[in-house]
Amino acid sequence: MKNQVTKYYPMLPVLAAYAALFLIGRNMSGMWQLVAMLLFYCALGQAFNIFLGMTGYVDFGYVAFMGVGTYGMALAISRLAHIEGLGAGIIVIGFVLAVLMSTMLSIAVGAVALRLRGAYFAIATIGVNEGFRFLIEGARIWNGSEGIIFTAQLNQILGREAASALATFWADLFVLIIAVAAALVTLIYMRSKIGYALTALREDEDAAKVMGINVTKFKIIAFITSASFAGLVGASSWALKTPYVFPPEVFEIHYTIEAIIIVLLGGAGTLLGPLVGGLIYGISKYYLSIFIPGFQLLIFAPIIIVIIVVFPEGVVGMLKAKTRNTAAGRFIV
Amino acid sequence: MLQVRDLESGYGPMQVLWKPGLEVKAGTVTSLLGPNGAGKSTLLGTVFGSVPPWGGTVVYEGKEITREPTHKKVQLGMALVPEGKHLFPNMTVEENLYMGAYLKRAEAHREESLEQVYELFPRLKERRRQMAGLLSGGEQQMVTVGRSLMTKPKLIMLDEPSQGLAPLLVELMFETIRKMKDDIGLTILLVEQNADASLEAADYVYVMHEGTIKAEGTPDQIKASDDIREAFLGM
Repeated sequence: MKNQVTKYYPMLPVLAAYAALFLIGRNMSGMWQLVAMLLFYCALGQAFNIFLGMTGYVDFGYVAFMGVGTYGMALAISRLAHIEGLGAGIIVIGFVLAVLMSTMLSIAVGAVALRLRGAYFAIATIGVNEGFRFLIEGARIWNGSEGIIFTAQLNQILGREAASALATFWADLFVLIIAVAAALVTLIYMRSKIGYALTALREDEDAAKVMGINVTKFKIIAFITSASFAGLVGASSWALKTPYVFPPEVFEIHYTIEAIIIVLLGGAGTLLGPLVGGLIYGISKYYLSIFIPGFQLLIFAPIIIVIIVVFPEGVVGMLKAKTRNTAAGRFIV
Repeated sequence: MLQVRDLESGYGPMQVLWKPGLEVKAGTVTSLLGPNGAGKSTLLGTVFGSVPPWGGTVVYEGKEITREPTHKKVQLGMALVPEGKHLFPNMTVEENLYMGAYLKRAEAHREESLEQVYELFPRLKERRRQMAGLLSGGEQQMVTVGRSLMTKPKLIMLDEPSQGLAPLLVELMFETIRKMKDDIGLTILLVEQNADASLEAADYVYVMHEGTIKAEGTPDQIKASDDIREAFLGM
């Protein structure tokens, strides 16, 4: 029993960090906007880490899952607004739809692409987000390139004040909850046989097969889990904050690249990595955009170079190696 | 225990196996000899499922398992020690071995299997807390074999276990193969280029060349035939 509890000790620093972020955002004036952005990056990192970190596979089309999640929420609100008495329940429906849609897309993509290994998988996924975007625009699905604007519906259902509170506070709180949930799932996976299977296939897929691990099954589990969290992130951090979606914006590849940087910077396959990576990345991007506006995108390249040269295992990966077999090491996973 | 008939497979458009057939009897060491590029590793891979079969059948313990996925075959007690060292370098020796007992069936016997592996390779017991990546080549090969034993196999297929090892370690490896057969009671299918040692260890020998079986017999019959030795084994 004691063992069962100590297994989940590494959740403590995660919870402490998110609680601190929340308190800073609420109590220091003008900080909520920064905190909201940091929460978004941390959540995106936590979600992506479940796939990239645990399997070692790079999915360049990852933003597509966030995109369809955004659409899930947008569709729920815009199409179901006429039903009386749904109230805030429509948000719940939106989240459910977001998870369903991102899960379905991940099954479709995964069933084909996960049969490929390593770099071939990465190449195969590059076009997924663009392809999906052109499908929506070209086939005029969900209003095509006109997107969905649902400000009116949201005001009608929730009232103007509540809708504004949703965009400025509740949406970010949902993102925080999603990030914590993703971290918890990561830890549960790590501490179960799924984690061992994923570690084995990440380190050496052939060896994993020889041990009788059904590698395809575990890759798909990680892929779907990761994708459904991305869908949730899209639904709350995008659709609920800015009540409109346009295909070119939600399927923008640079979110994938940001997610990759966050995961690698923090430490792929570690629990704390996406949190640390998200904070470092978010803070540097935020202040760069204030001090030298327009140049914030330039930090991509130096960050990648620094990661590769200084900490190939990421910040947390390095800390983890240093604190191995010490008391602190129990919390750094 | 294992019957292979008319197996065909290859990579992309290139066919490697041209209907070889062989049989491995329970409790024996069967050796598959042949020069580079004969298709020995491909044969093991196809039997094990890591190379998709094009045609033919693989029967294991009376059951047709040609197209079963690899993890099912491991579940049924088939193990492959792949060529080269597929280890987890950042895990300790013991962690590597424990990884071998991933399947439920193997997990139940985890501790006794570990004892068995340590008895077979006392060296690994000494090194159990070391990172596998820091071991010598021979020790890494021991871990690879040990990890396969942790899956609790009945049939173990070894792909060039003595490759790249010093002569003394080659001897140790063949000694281990003998122990696996006599002490643990495993059935062994051995792929080797080291024809001398392999003929010593085997109960039955198949000679493979250009994707087919060119000759078979007891080690004595193979050794007695000058044609086979000169043509395929370079002895």
